[in-house]
Amino acid sequence: MDSELLSGTFVELADTMVADFDIIDFLHMLTDRSVALLAASAAGVVLADPRGELRVAAATSDAAGMAELFQIQNDQGPCLDCFRSGHSVTAADLADPGTPWPRFAAAATQAGFRTVEALPMRLRDQVIGALNLFRATPGAFEPADLRIAQALADVATIGLLQERSLRRSETMAEQLQAALNSRVVIEQAKGKLAERVGTDMDEAFRLLRDHARNTNQRLTDVARDFVDSTSAEFPPPPGH
Amino acid sequence: MMSVSRATVLWGLIAEHAAAGGRRVAVGDVCAVAVASAQASGAWVAAASSRGPDFVLSVTDPVSEQLAELQLLLGEGPSHDVLAAAAPVLAADLGDQESGRRWPAFTAEARSTGAMAVFAFPLMIGAIRSGIIGLYRSSPGPLSSPQLGDCLLLADTATVLLLESLDGGTPQADGIGPGTRPGGQSPDLAVHRVEIDQATGMLTVQLGVSAGEAFARLRAYAYARDRRLADVAGDIVARRLRLDPEPGQEAGR
Repeated sequence: MDSELLSGTFVELADTMVADFDIIDFLHMLTDRSVALLAASAAGVVLADPRGELRVAAATSDAAGMAELFQIQNDQGPCLDCFRSGHSVTAADLADPGTPWPRFAAAATQAGFRTVEALPMRLRDQVIGALNLFRATPGAFEPADLRIAQALADVATIGLLQERSLRRSETMAEQLQAALNSRVVIEQAKGKLAERVGTDMDEAFRLLRDHARNTNQRLTDVARDFVDSTSAEFPPPPGH
Repeated sequence: MMSVSRATVLWGLIAEHAAAGGRRVAVGDVCAVAVASAQASGAWVAAASSRGPDFVLSVTDPVSEQLAELQLLLGEGPSHDVLAAAAPVLAADLGDQESGRRWPAFTAEARSTGAMAVFAFPLMIGAIRSGIIGLYRSSPGPLSSPQLGDCLLLADTATVLLLESLDGGTPQADGIGPGTRPGGQSPDLAVHRVEIDQATGMLTVQLGVSAGEAFARLRAYAYARDRRLADVAGDIVARRLRLDPEPGQEAGR
C-alpha cells in the first residue's frame, strides 16, 4: 500500500466535494483511484434504481462492457448478493467450477476478470449501491486493502448524498434519480461526440471530461448543453 | 428479472385501461394506473418546453386539474422543480416546513384544494425532456419503495408516449405510433442499456435531429423490424448500422 497515494486520494476526493461538484465526475475519479490504490484491473460504481435494477454510475474503462457484466448481475452475481445482504461479497476465483454465479462468472472471465469484490454503499440501514473491484488474476484482495476499499465506498455514498440534508428519506431517492439521469445525459453526449469526431466512446468521454475541467464546468452541464445544442460543433457555441 | 416482469405487468394494466375505453394507449391511461398503484387520489401529466411545464395534457379529476393549472399560473411547485433538478420531487406532507418554504404560494393553494401530499416525476431520458407526471394524495404519507419503483416505470412509459405523439407535430393526449397500441409491445425501457443512450446521441448527428426525435426514430426502426431496441442500439454503436435521414425509409410508417 502506497500511503502517500492513499492520503493524496482522500485529500483529492475531499477537495472535489465542494459546492456544485458533478457527482458522475466524482465517482469516475473514485473508481480511477480505487484501481491505482488497490492494484485492481477495473472498478465500477453501481446504484440501485428503485425500478428494480442495478445501474452503472461510473466505471474505469469500457463502460459498455462493464455495464453488460452488471446487467447480468441483475440476475445473479456478487454485486447483487452484496445488495441483498448489505455485506461485502468476494469472488476469489471466477474460474472455480463451484462458483455460485456461473452465468456471471462466464461473462466476467470472458472479459478478462478472475476476481471480484463487491463492497456495499450504505447509509444507515439502506444499501444504495456498491463499489466493485475487478482483478485479472485470481486471489482475494488483502484485508487491509478491503478496509480502504470500504472507506472509498463510504466516501462515494457521502459524495452522492451530501448535496442536501438527508433528514427526509425521500431526498435520497431524489438524489439517486438525479445521478442516474446525469449518467444518461453523459452517455447521450458521448454518442453525439463519438459520431461527430469519429472516436470510440471512451475517447469521447475523455474529451467531454477534459473540456469540463478546462472550462471549470460540471461534466453533466457540458454534456447536457452539447446534447441540447442544435449544432454538432464541440465545444458547443457559446450563448446556446 | 423482477424489473422486467413488473414493467410488463404495468404495461398490461395500461393497455387494459385503454382497451376498456376503446382507445389507443395514451398518457391518461398511465395516470389511471399510477393512481391505482401509488394509492393516490389523482394524477396529471403536463407537457414541457425548454422553459418549464407548458400545458396540461391529462388529468384524472378536478383537484388534479387545479393542482396542475396552479403550478403553471404561479410558476412554482413540484412540476417546475422536477424539470430543473432532473429528479423526482417527493413532498409527502405539504403541511411540513420544507414544503411551505420551497413553494409558499403553491403549498397554501394546494392544501386548500385538499391535497396533502404531492409527488412529481420528470418525463425525461437524459437530456430529453417531454413533461412531468404528478400525483397527489388527500392525506400525507410517503410512497413505499415498490410504489416509487412503479411511479418511475410509469414515468418512463409516459415519456415514450409523449415523444411519439410529438413526433407527428402537436402534442396530443392520445398516443400514436409504434408500441403504443393496446396489446402492442411495451416501451421496452425497463432494462436499461447504455447503448440506447449512446445510439440516441449518435443519431442526433446522423439524422440531424433533436435527441427526443432521435430516440423516437430509434424506437420506430426497431419496432418496424420487430427487433429489440437494445440490439438495434448495439448495432449503431458498433457502427454496423446507420439510419437514413429520410424518415419513412427505415421507419416503415
